[in-house]
Amino acid sequence: MALLRASGKHTGDDYDLSAVLGESGEDSGIPHADALIRLAETAIGYDDAATAAAREAAVERMGESALVDAVAIAANFNAIDRVADAIGIPLEEEKAAISADFREELGIDDFGRASLPAAAE
Amino acid sequence: MSTLTFDATPLPIRDDITAALPQVWARIGRPGTWLTARERVAVAAESRNARFCALCAERAEALSPYAVHGEHDSLGELPDEKVEIVHKMMTDPGRIAGHWYEALKDGGLPETEYVEIVGVVACTVGVDTFCRGIGMPPPPLPETQDGEPSGEAVGEANLNRDLAFAPTLDPFVDGPLQKEFFPGGPPSAAHIRRALSSVPDSQRQFWQMATVLYMDGMQMRDFSTEYRAITHAQIELVAGRVSAINQCVY
Repeated sequence: MALLRASGKHTGDDYDLSAVLGESGEDSGIPHADALIRLAETAIGYDDAATAAAREAAVERMGESALVDAVAIAANFNAIDRVADAIGIPLEEEKAAISADFREELGIDDFGRASLPAAAE
Repeated sequence: MSTLTFDATPLPIRDDITAALPQVWARIGRPGTWLTARERVAVAAESRNARFCALCAERAEALSPYAVHGEHDSLGELPDEKVEIVHKMMTDPGRIAGHWYEALKDGGLPETEYVEIVGVVACTVGVDTFCRGIGMPPPPLPETQDGEPSGEAVGEANLNRDLAFAPTLDPFVDGPLQKEFFPGGPPSAAHIRRALSSVPDSQRQFWQMATVLYMDGMQMRDFSTEYRAITHAQIELVAGRVSAINQCVY
């Protein structure tokens, strides 16, 4: 999410970061956010019909190459999240500092182990 | 020969993905560093089986998963402690805690095997999620190949035991593995880049997959150029949504 905010700063966009928490994404300021969120949610689930519908919508609005790359990102983070949590990797201090405001605002610090030192016990 | 191929899909899969993922998948079927090929394939199979486990479903609903005891519904190919690791990673990764890892270690599980299991589960998740997402069935399990685990130990002097639950390669030690994995020196050694590094082959296998599915470190931070068919913002939106569902802050 820090990178999402950083990319917005680069382009001069003020993205609504709460889109990652399950809102539709329509007001996030990110093009096709609703389709991407639906694709992300279904790609990591096991509902083939819902995934097919999300895939069709994504192709219709963004094209096949965009679909493939979006699915690749979902696959990567579905895997890398598990690596981070299973090994017990904490956030780097600088990343924790620059993300503290939106982690608190969006309730991200309440996530499971939360990759934060205090939660690692 | 990999059991994974993208020949049948009509979608334009990037060449780097069609090259890397079949290699990563086939590698699961070869002897690892600490696990046999049969154990590695059993870990991949158990990763797929975990979502049908009644104990995991009960734990996922519990306020504390550690208060719920019982037996996993497993395929019977792995010992209980390894089934526990695989199922936990698959069904409730966001609530993995240090005391759980320590209990596994105290029970006799070598930390080296733990890290290798984490790597195999992660590669299985990455491959399966990608395949399902593009409308392909997950590939058949890799064929197992004969041979013994390599036993490639990195040596205690190379390890950092203060960063995470499991040991990681210490980027501040001047060694060949550090040069390979953190070519930019310690500043390039993001914590996630260190995660699997205590088992070098697991590190190589995982990052071969992750780099093509996502981007390399330079591309990730270069907002002036789009390296994929979706923008940096769209990429990070997808990444953030998946991580939120997985309850992962990192």
